[in-house]
Amino acid sequence: MATTSPVAGVDELRDTRSEGQWSIVLRRFRRHHLAMISLVVLLLILLAAFFAPYLTPFSPRENDITKRFLTPLTADPDTGQLHIFGTDNLGRDYFTRVLYAGRVSLTVALTTSTIAVLIGIFLGLLAGYFGGWIDIAITRTLEFISTFPLFIVLLILSSILLQNESLIPIPDFAVSITAALTAVPDTEARKVTLLVLALALLNWTPTARLMRGMVLSVREQVYIESSRALGASNPRIIWRHVFPNAYPPIIVDFTLLINTILVLESSLSFLGFGVQDPTPTWGNMLAFAQSNMFNEPWLPLVPGLPLLLCALAINFIGDGMRDALDPRLKL
Amino acid sequence: MTTFLIRRLFQMLIVILLAAIASYALLYLAPGGPLVALQQRQRGGAQGVTEEDIARIRARFELDLHPAVRFTRWFVGLPRGPINLGGQALLAEMHVGCTQTGQVQLTYPDGRTDIVEECIDPLTLAELEGRRVSRGVLFGDFGLSQVILRDRPISALIWSRLPYTLALMGVSTLLAILFGVIIGVYSAVRQYSRFDYFMTTLAFIGASLPTFFFGIMLILVLAVWAKDAGLPYLPSGNATANRDYVVPLLGTVDAGSPLDFLLHFIMPCAVLTFVSIAQWSRFVRASMLEVLRQDYVRTARAKGVRERLVIAKHALRNALIPFITLLAGVLPTLFAGAAVTEAVFNWPGLGQLLLDALERFDYMVAMALLYITIVLQLVGYLISDILYTVVDPRIRLT
Repeated sequence: MATTSPVAGVDELRDTRSEGQWSIVLRRFRRHHLAMISLVVLLLILLAAFFAPYLTPFSPRENDITKRFLTPLTADPDTGQLHIFGTDNLGRDYFTRVLYAGRVSLTVALTTSTIAVLIGIFLGLLAGYFGGWIDIAITRTLEFISTFPLFIVLLILSSILLQNESLIPIPDFAVSITAALTAVPDTEARKVTLLVLALALLNWTPTARLMRGMVLSVREQVYIESSRALGASNPRIIWRHVFPNAYPPIIVDFTLLINTILVLESSLSFLGFGVQDPTPTWGNMLAFAQSNMFNEPWLPLVPGLPLLLCALAINFIGDGMRDALDPRLKL
Repeated sequence: MTTFLIRRLFQMLIVILLAAIASYALLYLAPGGPLVALQQRQRGGAQGVTEEDIARIRARFELDLHPAVRFTRWFVGLPRGPINLGGQALLAEMHVGCTQTGQVQLTYPDGRTDIVEECIDPLTLAELEGRRVSRGVLFGDFGLSQVILRDRPISALIWSRLPYTLALMGVSTLLAILFGVIIGVYSAVRQYSRFDYFMTTLAFIGASLPTFFFGIMLILVLAVWAKDAGLPYLPSGNATANRDYVVPLLGTVDAGSPLDFLLHFIMPCAVLTFVSIAQWSRFVRASMLEVLRQDYVRTARAKGVRERLVIAKHALRNALIPFITLLAGVLPTLFAGAAVTEAVFNWPGLGQLLLDALERFDYMVAMALLYITIVLQLVGYLISDILYTVVDPRIRLT
């Protein structure tokens, strides 16, 4: 084999260096077949959920008592349009509701985990970089929050919030963003926003802990010291040097958090303390399905399978990300 | 060790106090509170709730007291009334609350008038005497239930539900640990075998599934479809049946008999076991893999110790040391950790009690459950710290 370089392997080295860090990660991610399949599945579900108005002629909230519990694949008595999965106890098209429910569930999961991760990153950076009393205050808060049983607190909190929903001030822009993303009227979007905030407030702690740990190790590196010697300000050091070197594990954490929130939200909605009925989510549809499953045994499968697929897909993607980002696997 | 224990107990007490304040604040500083629903009804004019009704309800929920006083009465059962010292009632006139707020017109010296919201009928310490008060949550008295079992002690309510939750959580946790250890050890010894791949994938699925979905699927298969197909089926909810029923192959099952209970028990127990096997087996596998790489395991093998003995004695024992931290987490879940599963199967345990309490706004019951869970969690941490020294003599607590 003819080599152009006197040292074996230098060509390969040069090859990888010309390739950006992200394309290496992407290449490794693509090798994880299960994660790639999961990504496709998740994208399909997301697309179906967000293009719901184009996929189905029915509205998710228009009830008609005369059309209760139509069997799957029956034509609508008035318009002749097909009810693919039949209708529910109020005569609403079940297929339509599953699509819109996906929209609500996934929006809640994505926005909540984004907010939680942002809070976590911010506080983790502060605690890790500055140390001292800031660190003590933040870590003590973290420890204190983790003595509370998450699910019980969440149940109590959302039951109180839902009861006094009209008394809590929420900025209008937050409500209208939620309304636009979930395609529900503003009054329902308010409740969804409250749930998002409650979930986010209780779920930022793992990210903050992880971020703090990463920052603590990055902070001691020589390049930080040299940057400081060159007179860089703290915000610049944090933004240009600390954060870019500390965030890769956060991506995995973020992916897994999406699943945690998806499961939490659907459990809460299933129990009646999350998103409430006229707004569809997979959780509250499953609650309805359970109470009617003795007559219509297939009912729980319709919202259950997309929920199951999403949960699995997100976890497999997280797994793939972990493999792709793990520096121990390099070269 | 003694100083460690004293310090830890002291810290624990402070954390308990803070947690109690935080959870109490969560309940009462939120806008509204128990009165909102009533006031809304009054505005609707449906039931005609009068001012007196409101005052009575305010007194019942102690909403006429200042939050701080209300909290101490809930937490330690004080103040009960004026302090009696040598026949003299001290501080009898101290204001501790307000029975009625109203608008007061203030006239300033320059003639301006202003209407302010103020307390027009303050509540004094002397008036607290004779009011019902618990001995305090800190000493294990959680007060009275307001809605679920009106005027019955909350502790009685909890005792009546505790056996159901303990049976469910106890059995499923033991089963999960048993299966988890076996699967974990086997996966670690045969790393990357077909069994290992199968089990890690299964554990992965178990960990990412919402519990209630698995529960509903189980009901669908074992209760609905099995019954429709004429096969032996399992009852879909509750802890016992109301009337006798016939199960194919088993014959007639008497309502309330041990067999009836067992049939009801199987499904919720299976769900909880499956969900937590994942957690235990993953943990044991990782821990075993770590230990199997150690030198002393190689030494044992080199000495010619049988592989079985190496795994059971040299490896597993050491692999189980970090296990103890997980045990600390089990203690609070034994208490109210199965709300979702209990709801799916309508199991009359503490998780279901919590949901009932929240649905019917019996917040004191919910607070009691939250508080007990927090205390159990802290006790769990303490126990795991102590157990560490027992299992691993290298660790000393100072």
